[in-house]
Amino acid sequence: MRISRRDFLRVAAAAVAAGRLAPAALARLEEALRSPNAPRVIWLQASGCDGCAISFLNSVHYATADDLLLNTLDVKFQSNLQAAAGDLAISALQAAAAQPGYILIVEGAIPTGANGRFCRAWTGTTMVDALQSLAPNAAFIVALGACASYGGVTRGAPNPTGAKGLGQILGNDSRLINIPGCPAHPDWLVGTLVYLINNGRVPPLDQHRRPLEFFSRRIHDNCFKRRKYCGQPVFAPQLGEVGCMEYLGCKGKHTYADCPIRKWNSRGEGQYGVNWCVAARSPCLGCVNPNFPDGMSPFFVYLPAPERPAQPTGREEEAAPFGRPFGAGTPAPLR
Amino acid sequence: MPTTLTIDPVTRIEGHLEIEVTVDLVGGQQQVVDAKSAGTMFRGFEIILVGRDPRDAALYTQRICGVCPVSHAAAACLNLDAAFGVQPPDNGRILRNLVQGANHLESNILHFYHLSLLDYVNTTGMLDRAPWIPRYNTPDMIGGSTAATLIEHYVAALQIRRKTQQMGALFGAKLPCVGSLVVGGCTEVVTSGKVAEFRRLLTELRSFVDNIYLADVNTLVGAFPNYYNLGVGYRNLLSFGAFDLDASGNNRLFPAGRYTDGQTGTVDPQQIIEYVSHGWYTPASGGLNPAQGVTEPDPDKPGAYTWLKAPRYAGKAHEAGPLARMWIANEYTRGVSALDRIVARALETKKIADAMDGWLDQLTPGAPSYAPSTIPQQATGIGLTEAPRGALGHWMTITNGAISRYQVITPTAWNASPRDDANQLGPIEAALLGTPVTDVDQPIEVLRVVHTFDPCLACAVHMVRPGERQSRPRIMVRQSPL
Repeated sequence: MRISRRDFLRVAAAAVAAGRLAPAALARLEEALRSPNAPRVIWLQASGCDGCAISFLNSVHYATADDLLLNTLDVKFQSNLQAAAGDLAISALQAAAAQPGYILIVEGAIPTGANGRFCRAWTGTTMVDALQSLAPNAAFIVALGACASYGGVTRGAPNPTGAKGLGQILGNDSRLINIPGCPAHPDWLVGTLVYLINNGRVPPLDQHRRPLEFFSRRIHDNCFKRRKYCGQPVFAPQLGEVGCMEYLGCKGKHTYADCPIRKWNSRGEGQYGVNWCVAARSPCLGCVNPNFPDGMSPFFVYLPAPERPAQPTGREEEAAPFGRPFGAGTPAPLR
Repeated sequence: MPTTLTIDPVTRIEGHLEIEVTVDLVGGQQQVVDAKSAGTMFRGFEIILVGRDPRDAALYTQRICGVCPVSHAAAACLNLDAAFGVQPPDNGRILRNLVQGANHLESNILHFYHLSLLDYVNTTGMLDRAPWIPRYNTPDMIGGSTAATLIEHYVAALQIRRKTQQMGALFGAKLPCVGSLVVGGCTEVVTSGKVAEFRRLLTELRSFVDNIYLADVNTLVGAFPNYYNLGVGYRNLLSFGAFDLDASGNNRLFPAGRYTDGQTGTVDPQQIIEYVSHGWYTPASGGLNPAQGVTEPDPDKPGAYTWLKAPRYAGKAHEAGPLARMWIANEYTRGVSALDRIVARALETKKIADAMDGWLDQLTPGAPSYAPSTIPQQATGIGLTEAPRGALGHWMTITNGAISRYQVITPTAWNASPRDDANQLGPIEAALLGTPVTDVDQPIEVLRVVHTFDPCLACAVHMVRPGERQSRPRIMVRQSPL
C-alpha cells in the first residue's frame, strides 16, 4: 500500500525520461507524500451522485487512494468511507471545522430552492447552511466535479432545485479552486492537493478558476484522431468508426483538459490511463466546461467552434512541472 | 418507555439517508418497534430530461449515480433501442454486458469491504486515524488476528476495485460514467489486445473473489450467525432480470421474476404503482404507474418525511438486490435476512465474474459492435435491468423527436421507500422492526441491517415529474444523422 522510495524513484525516473515530469517536481511530490503535517480534509457531498468520490478512489497515477488516506491526508469527514454515522460523525466534523486551516472539498451542487431543503446535510441543517458554516475556516476550498464547480447536471435546465456551483454562492473567493469534470479525474484532484501541500497556496488558475496544470490544453489540439492523418482530418461517418467526430458532436474543440494525454483509469503508478472517451470512439462531452451540460448538449450534434490556428508542436505531452511560479493567470471573475 | 433515535446522516452508503427508529423494551429486550427511512436530497432528473435529444439520455441518466452509472447507461440504452427500433450486434450486446458486469463487481466489492465491514470489525490499532475514527466500539465486534486479516483485505480491496474500474474502462471509455454505451450498441471495438487485458484483470479479480471475498463473508457468517434472524422484512423479492445472453431478450443471466407472499411470479410493469402519501409531493401525484406519473414537489407537506416515493408491486412492498436476483434465478433460497443479503451479494459476484470470462470468448474481433439508427419522431420505450442494488427501470416517451417524458424507478426507491397510502412500511423500515438496540448511543445493529440493502439514495431520489405549474424546458433539439 505505501510505495517504497525505491519503487517511487524508479517509476518517477521513467516518467522524467519520457519528458513527463520535471525532476524538481518529483522531489517535492515525494516530500508531500511523506509529510508528517497531514493536511486536514473535510469532504462534503451535496446534490450530486458521489461519482467524484468513486473517481478519487481510482487514483493511482500520483498515489493510490489508500496511500493518501492512510499516510498523507487526515480526512475528518467523508460520508462514503467514514466509520461513524449520525451524531458521532457530525460532532467530529464540527470539532474539526472549529480549527481553521483545513482543505474543504465539496462534491455536488448546492440547491438553493425551497430555502435549501432540497438537500439536507444533517438534522436541521441544509447544504447551503453547511457550506456557509464550513467555508469560513477553510484554508482552501476545492469544488470537485462539474456540479460543485458550476452546477453541472444538477443545474440542468430548468434547474428545478435552484442548484448553484460554489462560486455562485461564495462569490469571488481567492481560496476557491474548481476541478470540474463529470466526474473529475482523480489525478486532477490529487495533483492539486499535492500542490496545496507543497506550496501552501492556490495553484495558477484559468479564468474559470481551474488549475492551468490540467486545463490549459485544448482536447482537439492533442487528439490523436486529428493528428494521425497529417493534419487532414478524416471524419468518422458514424459512431464506432475511425476518424474525427467533430460532426458527430465531439466537443473537443470547445474543451480544455488533458484527457488525450492523461487518459482515464490509469494502469499504475506513473502510468496514464487505459482509455478515454474519444479513443473509445465516443465524442467528448465537454464535461469540464462551465456551461456543461446545457451548453454542450445535444451531445451527438455538431457545435461549431471558431477555428484556431493551433498547430500541434509535438510537445503538448510534456506536462508542466509542479510549483509553477504564482502569478500566472488573472483573477477569475466568478459566475 | 419508547425512545426515538435518529441517524442523520447514515454514512457508508451513497447519497443522503436518514433513519429514525423508535426503540422500546419488548420481552425484556430493547428493540426497534417502529422505523422511518427518509431520503433527504432531491435533484429533479425527469424535469431536466424533458425536451432533450433522446440519445443524450444514456449520458444524463448515468449522472443519477456515480456508483452504478453503467446500470443507468444499460437501462437507458435498452430503453432507446426499444424506442428507436434498433438491435445491437452481438459484439455490442456483449460489450455492454461486460462493462455493466464490471460495474456490478466493483460495486459489490466496495459494498462489502468499504461500506459494511466496519460495522463488524474492531479496527483499534489498525485504522486509528480519521476517517476511521471516531467509530463505534461494541463488544461483539471481531478483534484480534481475524480483524487484522479483514482490514488487510479491506486495503487490498481498494486496489481490486480500482482495477475492476480499469477493466470496465477498456470497453467503457472511462469509469465512472462511461462514454461508449449508446443506442444501437457500443462505440468501442473488439480487439484481441483489449480482450487479453480485460481477461488478465478479470482473472485477478476472480482470484480475489474466490479466495478472499468469499472467505471473508464466511468469517462474518461464523461470527454473526444471529443476523440470519435479523433484518428480515416482508420476504417479497423483485428482479427485472439482467445480462442478455443472446439477442432474443428472453434469455438473461439473471431472469426477471418475483417472489410475493411465498409464491414465485412473473413481472408486469403495469402492476407498479408509486404512492406519495408520506413523501414531499402533492397528493394528486400519487397512485400512478410511472408511465402516467405527474408529480409536483411539496417540501412543506405535513406528515411527509422523505423525498422518496413508495413504489409497490400489486400493492405490496418488494425488496430488490442481489438476494432477489439469486433467489429468482433459483441459486440462493436459504432465507431472507440481513446476512442472506450479504452472502447472496458475494455469491452473485462470483457468478457474474465467472460468466464474464465466457462472454469474452464470444466476442469477435473485427465484427461491428454498433448499429446506426435515426431518432423517431414519436415513440415509447422501456428499459429494464438490474443495477448492483437491484431492479432498475427506465421509461421514455419521444414526441416530435425529443424526450417528452422520462421516468426512472431505481432499486433503492423500492428498498428505502416510506410508508404507502395504506400505511404499509417500506422494505428497510419493515426489516428494522425487531432489531435489537443494545446501546442507544451506538445503534450499530440498526446500521448493520440498513447497510445490507446497500442503499444508494442519489438513485432513489432523482426525480420530480412535470406538474402543471412547471413550464416545459425549451432545449432545442438539433438533429444530425447518426
